[in-house]
Formats: sequence, structure tokens, C-alpha cells
Amino acid sequence: MPWSDTLAPYRRAGSFGGYMVAAVLAVSEIVILALALHPDVNADYRAYYIDRTTTCLNRDALGSYTVGQRVSFRSDGAKLAAGMIVCGWSGPVADGTHSLGETSRLRLEIPPLRDGLTATLQMAAVIRPPQMSQRVLISVNGIPIHKVTLSGKEPTTVSFVIPHAAFANAKALDMAFDYLDGIPPSAAASNIYKRSIKLVSFRLDAA
Amino acid sequence: MGKGRTNNLATVIKGTGHASSVTDQAKHFEISHDRRSILEAPAVVAVPLLFAISGIAIRYAAFASVTAEPGFESYARALCRWDCHWYVDISERGYESFPIPNQSNVGRWGFFPLYPMLVAGIRTVFPFPTILVATITSIACSYAACLIAWPLLEKNMRAYVLYCAFLLSGPFSFHFTTFLTEPLFVLLTSCVFLALKRTNYLVAGILSALLSATRLVGVLVVFATAIQMFQQHRAQDGTTLSFPLWLLGRPDLLVAILISPAGLFAYILFLYLTVGDGFAFLHVQRAFGRVAGNPLLFLWDGLSAVPTTGWLPTAPQWSALAALTGLALSVVLAVRGQYGAGLFCAVCIILPLITNLASMVRYVVGLAPLIVLTAILLSASKLTWLAALVLFLSACYFMTVAWIGGYLALV
Repeated sequence: MPWSDTLAPYRRAGSFGGYMVAAVLAVSEIVILALALHPDVNADYRAYYIDRTTTCLNRDALGSYTVGQRVSFRSDGAKLAAGMIVCGWSGPVADGTHSLGETSRLRLEIPPLRDGLTATLQMAAVIRPPQMSQRVLISVNGIPIHKVTLSGKEPTTVSFVIPHAAFANAKALDMAFDYLDGIPPSAAASNIYKRSIKLVSFRLDAA
Repeated sequence: MGKGRTNNLATVIKGTGHASSVTDQAKHFEISHDRRSILEAPAVVAVPLLFAISGIAIRYAAFASVTAEPGFESYARALCRWDCHWYVDISERGYESFPIPNQSNVGRWGFFPLYPMLVAGIRTVFPFPTILVATITSIACSYAACLIAWPLLEKNMRAYVLYCAFLLSGPFSFHFTTFLTEPLFVLLTSCVFLALKRTNYLVAGILSALLSATRLVGVLVVFATAIQMFQQHRAQDGTTLSFPLWLLGRPDLLVAILISPAGLFAYILFLYLTVGDGFAFLHVQRAFGRVAGNPLLFLWDGLSAVPTTGWLPTAPQWSALAALTGLALSVVLAVRGQYGAGLFCAVCIILPLITNLASMVRYVVGLAPLIVLTAILLSASKLTWLAALVLFLSACYFMTVAWIGGYLALV
């Protein structure tokens, strides 16, 4: 019997083994690809990284706050302010905490209250001609509360009432700032780098 | 090629010659070839070693010129810039899940795991600071990459000297001797192309799998493998249409192709299990501010970023020039018949160019086929070879100073 005939069964087994390995690899890669195409992530992750519907990645930050207390968002109030910062802020630095992206958020713990609150914020617009003003939409716990247009480099005091209904059943007050006129650092830059305002101080009083 | 050509010549002479003088001539060829090989072997080992030593000396001198803190560890830390810190973190702490600790948006997921894993493994045996272990490992990888390049350079000693000088004592040698993925990437790329040159597809596939776990673009080397297979099929008088059937009839080739992206798929699975998102390495790019755009526009923006003072190109201009040079060299590779290498390099440049010009210089100089080609082209004449060698060695000092100083084009 020629040698080639003797080796033929082994060659066939080797070939079959090769196809098996190839099949296992192909199936594994298809399964992994399918898993990757269906990420198992929470809504915050999906909104920021995958859908890109927000520039502000929500985090479980919750600052402690006493009603009537004025919190500085300059360097001098860094410790207190840091606890309230959720996302979309850079700083604090000497002239305040700078917004970063298209939305910024603050979150603070509030005691049960019977009435609404009056918010008093000191904010300054980031200006770069031709953009000479900044429109800011402020929401509390997802409810639009106040719209303000800031202009000029000097801080402006903005005051508005937060109705009790906005936080009646909530343990925290989540304040979102949506910027309609953010300034990107360059034409090709990502929207996570847009600049809009500088927050200087924050205060809530019983209405 | 030199050895192959000599062997072929000897075979031809042996096969056709009946006269004793011809046989003697053949023997003389073989003996002289063997002697040459014996003489070359120590040189092949010694040349990269010398450049490794000279490179450390030059870069240390550059480091000493900008800092007062002496010592090899301080030197290694000073050269650990930009992405290097991420790799140190991964090597020491691994990857984080989500939410990222310290309320950060930026996960380490964008940095591929093989090299930090390798350093972590070595550190368990040699318990020294990570950056020290990584620096020595990087030098070792670059040294090994030089040895692997010897057959890729067709055993051309002049080109080999230039290649070793570039990698270990050249203007970008800090990329190949600190904790970045470039040293392993160059080593594995060279190994893959050597395996392909020897038509050892299974080895090429396994090495490609490692390459795909080193950097995302590593997975693209599978195209070079497929092209090499196609070229082999054509050389055996196969037609283009019969190639898929021929491939399906070769289980070894199927395994080689399918195993090539295994490193990437393993990382995708790991990310799915830890973060819940297998493509976290892509999605995290948002937190780094990378936005997809038109590569041509990015190139144009880079080239038109003219300096406001002086005549030296700006960082964006250097990056754009590096991309264009890399693409031009990729075309030269294709023209020289190295279609797989040309395509691999071109796609490795174009893919990151879709987001912007960041790190473009590093990406281009880290493409082994381009370094091999450049070394061959520059060693075509003694004059250009000598000029390039002097330029590489002297630029090493100034570029290291620029790297330590955080010059943006070198990021």
C-alpha cells in the first residue's frame, strides 16, 4: 500500500479538525458581535456614550444643602459646590464654575418642604463675537422652570420661583441648565467642549 | 532575498554544470555564503544592541538637560507622557466597570489590553515599579523587532543599520522605548509579515490575533493575509473567481483568517462582561472629544494651520505631513508589489484620520512596513544612508527634549 494511502485517513481527520476549529471561531465571533450590538447598559450610559443625546453624563452625586445657604461656585466654595456637581461643569476657578457641553446639572438633598422655593443664582455669559449672549433653560426634576438670556461678561443675578409641585415627591432637587447658544472652541470640536456660562453662586430660600 | 538568490544560483549551477570548474564555482559560492552568514550573525545581534545603548545615552542626556533629578527611574518617568499614564494605570489596576470611579467620564476602555497585560505579567516576576518594567520591556520588544526585520530587509546590512537606528536611537525612539503600545505593535507587525513572507499562514493568524489585542488597527492586518493568500492562489494559476472555493477547500487558511481578529473579539467580550458594552472602546472616544469627520478636511485644516511666528511648521502641520507621507509610502509599497502591507498601512492611517489628526505622527512612525521601506529607500546610496543615520542620531536628542516638554505633534 503506498504511503499516501496510509496517511489519507489522518489527513482527512486533520482537515475535519481544521473545519471544526474554523467553525468554532466563526460561531464565537458571531455570538460576541451579536452581544456587542445589544449592549446591556443603563439609560445614562446609553444617552452619553452610544446615542450621544446628551453631553452631561448623569452620576449619583448628591450634595447636602441647607435652605437659605449661599453656596459659592468660585474657588473659595469648592468643597461645598463639588458635592452638588453632577456633570457638565469645569472648575471651580477664580471666576466661577464653567459650564461644559450643552447641559449642566446640579443635585442637592432637600428636606421635606410645604411650599415652593426661590432660587437665586449668579451667572455670567461666556462671550465670543459674534455670540454676545447666552440663552439658558433651567429645569428642576425635569420640569422647565425658567428661561434667561445672559449678556455681558459681568455676573447677573437671576431669581425665579420653583413651584412645590416640581419637587413635592422627590428627596433631591435636580437642577438642569440647557444651553442654546454654546460656543465650541473650534468648528471641528466635539459638543462636549462647548462653553456657555460661569456659575458664581447658588442659593435657595423658602418662597 | 540575498540568501535565496545565492542558493538558487548554486542550485542552477549544480543542476546544469557537468564541468568540474562549474561545480567548484558552486562550492565556492556556498562556502563564501556560509562564511558571510557566520560573519553577519554577530553583527545582526550587535547592531540593535549598540543602538539600544546609544539611544538610552542620547535620551538620558536630553532628559538630564531639562531636569535636575538623576536616575534611570526618573528618566523613565519623565519619558512616560500622554497615553503612557493610561497604560501604567491599566497595568496596575486593570479596567474599571461603569459607573467609572471618581465621577469621571473617561474610562480606560479605549486602550487595548495586551501590552499592559504583558507588563503586568512581567512585573509579577520582577517586582519593580511599573514604568521601569515597561521601559525595559519596550526596549526588549524594539530590539526583537529589529532582529525580525533583518529578513524583511532582505538582509541588507545598510538598511538594517538604519532601521535599528530609527527604532532605538532615532527621532521617535521615545515612542518605542516607553510604555506605549508601539514597541509591541511594531514587533508583532514585523512577525506577521515575516510569517506571511514564509507563507506560514497559521502563525501569521495567531500573531495577528495578538496584534488585534494590542491596538484596534491591528485587526486590519487580516487584509494583508487575505491578499497574500490571493497572490499565492494566482501564482498557482488560480482565477479570481475560483479563489473563494479554493479558500473554502483549505481549512488551515480558514483558521488563519478567522483566528486573526480573535484578540479584538476577546476584548469585546471582556468589555461586554465588565461594562455591558462590547464596543466601549469605541464609545468612550466621545469622552475624549473625538468626533468623526471628513479626513480630507482634517488634513486641509492641519496643513493650513500656518505658524504665526517663525518658519517651523505647527503641530497640526507636522501631523498632516506625517499622514500624507505615510499614505505616499503606502502607495510606494503597493507599487513595489507589497499590496497587503500597503493596504494595511494606508488603512491604519486613514482610520484614525476619520476622527482627527491627533497622534498621527506616532501612528505613522509605528507602522513597521513603512519603516522597513524607508530604511531600504534611504540606504540606496551611501550618501543618503550616512546623512539619514547622522540625522536620526542627532534628532533623537532634540525630539526627546520636545517629547518631555509635551510638544503636541508627538502625542
